[in-house]
Amino acid sequence: MLRILAILLTLGSLGAAQAEDLVPLKLELPKPLFVGTPRPIKVSNLEPETAASAGPLMVPAGTTLLSLNKSVTSSDTSPVIGELTCVTDGDKSGDEGSYVELGPGVQWVQIDLGGPARIAAIAVWHFHAQARVYHAVVVQASNDPQFKTGVTTLFNNDDTNADGLGKGADYAYVETYKGRVIDAKGVTARYVRLYSDGNTSDELNHYTEVEVYGKPVN
Amino acid sequence: MPRTLSHWLPLVLLTLAAFWWRSRDLASRPMHADEANQAVKAGELLESGRYAYDPHDHHGPVLYYAAVPIAWIRGQRTLAGLDEVTVRLVPALAGAASVFLLGLLAAPLGRWPSLAAAAFLAASPPAVYYSRYFVQETLLATFTLAAFVCARQWWSSGRARWAAAAGACAGLMQAAKESAPLFALAGIAALLAIRGRSDGPAPRRPVRDALIAAGAALAVAALFYSSLGAHPSGLRDALGAYGPLAARLGAGDTGHEKPWWYFLRLFAWQRNGGVVFEQAAFSALALAGVATALATRAPLLRWAAAYSLLVLLALSSIAYKTPWHAIHLVPGFSILAAGAIAAMSRGAASRIAAAALTIGVLGLLVFQADRVTRVYGSDARNPYAYVHSSPDVLKFRGLADAALSRSPGGLVRVISEEYWPLPWYLRGMDNVGYWTRPPADCDAALVIASAGLADEVHSRLHGTYDRSYLGLRPGFVCIVFTPRR
Repeated sequence: MLRILAILLTLGSLGAAQAEDLVPLKLELPKPLFVGTPRPIKVSNLEPETAASAGPLMVPAGTTLLSLNKSVTSSDTSPVIGELTCVTDGDKSGDEGSYVELGPGVQWVQIDLGGPARIAAIAVWHFHAQARVYHAVVVQASNDPQFKTGVTTLFNNDDTNADGLGKGADYAYVETYKGRVIDAKGVTARYVRLYSDGNTSDELNHYTEVEVYGKPVN
Repeated sequence: MPRTLSHWLPLVLLTLAAFWWRSRDLASRPMHADEANQAVKAGELLESGRYAYDPHDHHGPVLYYAAVPIAWIRGQRTLAGLDEVTVRLVPALAGAASVFLLGLLAAPLGRWPSLAAAAFLAASPPAVYYSRYFVQETLLATFTLAAFVCARQWWSSGRARWAAAAGACAGLMQAAKESAPLFALAGIAALLAIRGRSDGPAPRRPVRDALIAAGAALAVAALFYSSLGAHPSGLRDALGAYGPLAARLGAGDTGHEKPWWYFLRLFAWQRNGGVVFEQAAFSALALAGVATALATRAPLLRWAAAYSLLVLLALSSIAYKTPWHAIHLVPGFSILAAGAIAAMSRGAASRIAAAALTIGVLGLLVFQADRVTRVYGSDARNPYAYVHSSPDVLKFRGLADAALSRSPGGLVRVISEEYWPLPWYLRGMDNVGYWTRPPADCDAALVIASAGLADEVHSRLHGTYDRSYLGLRPGFVCIVFTPRR
């Protein structure tokens, strides 16, 4: 009897979630930044048009920006350029001083949302002053700050397993002022961690801004 | 300690230290497109013994010939066997030799100031950087210094053999790069500018000696431009190189045009992407040296001031500028800075202050030189890493080897408007082709396409391919198509 009741309650909560209104996620975009002479590069052919121009991600109504000014930790504890606070300070301009530069090789940043949240989307701007592709980008969410248990991988374009987290099938992409919006599919987590392994211009890793959208879980 | 030993030992030790710094970890920085291009030419000379001077896209022959004996010593006989260390040892050796030569040239300043001049050059960021860089510039700067040292020896001794040596060095300058006359003329013009303030020449037969020098210069230059006699038309090409070069520079569309103050900025202070690159203290000391030159009758300081000014004016007045030209300013600036130090060291207390200042300026130079050569060796913010290859270029060879092991006998296609330094990294592989436009059939075991041509290439692929992305240089992305298994 109790088992039947539990099943009915689960189905009911799922129905409530599905009935939630969906609205387009609105991002505040920085103005395009073109530094120096344009280089011979075409952006649109780096991934299929369908993936690049799928329109705005639909998120539950009431979704808010959760990550603004939240604390950030990193595998590189002493960045030479910028501060880890740049990751969540709301400055997406891409100018000098708006990004943090982590050392060469595989590095990560981790955002503590302060409590569990139902995450709808994660938007990331690595570095958009120049056309470049970041290698082995992996985005994960978890309630474990060590990311040892309960880890959900939301995005993975690491086709060589450089990060050691398993190969991913997501597309690599060129950095632009539009950033990259990742569907978090409502995963519940307190921490978000983003990996990369250098980029097509140098071996360093940069974060101009990361925005985590969702609803706090009471 | 014998006097000779105590006199020479510091300069020899400084030269050895300069060589150590210039030769350590030579393979760590990816090859620049220009380095790769020239290393392939050196490899072809090594492998086949053939070389023909190309006046259009290449400079003098001596760089390639200099790499050959080093390759032999290191047991390398083919292009495939040649490596980065071998080719970069050429400028490293030349850069270390330039330190020794500047110590000789600056000798009239006194024992310790001349050593300080050599130390400034040894620690100079552009001098260190381009002494680890397989292009002609460091060879040219070193042969220029050698020519000046020999010319001064002739001037003071009057011996014809020094005139011949100076001429031979001038020939090597010309065989290094076509811009050699600029520096030779600047040196002579600076000497004329200070005439009357220096001792008269010792040579009793200056016309005869000048003819000997000219003959030696022509013989040495002709030897290299004619490929050691095997390619006589190289001599004609060498003489005809200046017309097209002038036309190209005059057109002002090389893509390397920069403002007149470009070199001044390199020797001052700049902040790129949050990283500071500067030589302000060294430059300030050199400026103090100019003031010293004006206030004293020291011929060497006056000559160094005039020479540096002429070279700076010449380099700044030409719109075409690349950062490796900056190394031609370093010897003159180093002499001037050392002259300022010498002028300071009149009493015991001021000698301590001068020594402290020298150590402080050297410390800043060492910090900056380490920053540009090691920390930011190929970083686009580094003003000396000019249009440099990305570290990603080191990954292409592994991909090509893996592709051909999956598909023995297959083909690697590189389809891109620009593809250097890839031919260096894919050297020794027979089945690699390069296209600047997509061919009708693009299928291959591995296809490397520029982002600009990737759509067209993709439309001509018949199989199913995975794609990944690697950088050729900052802002230039390549798409790597790998057949799906």
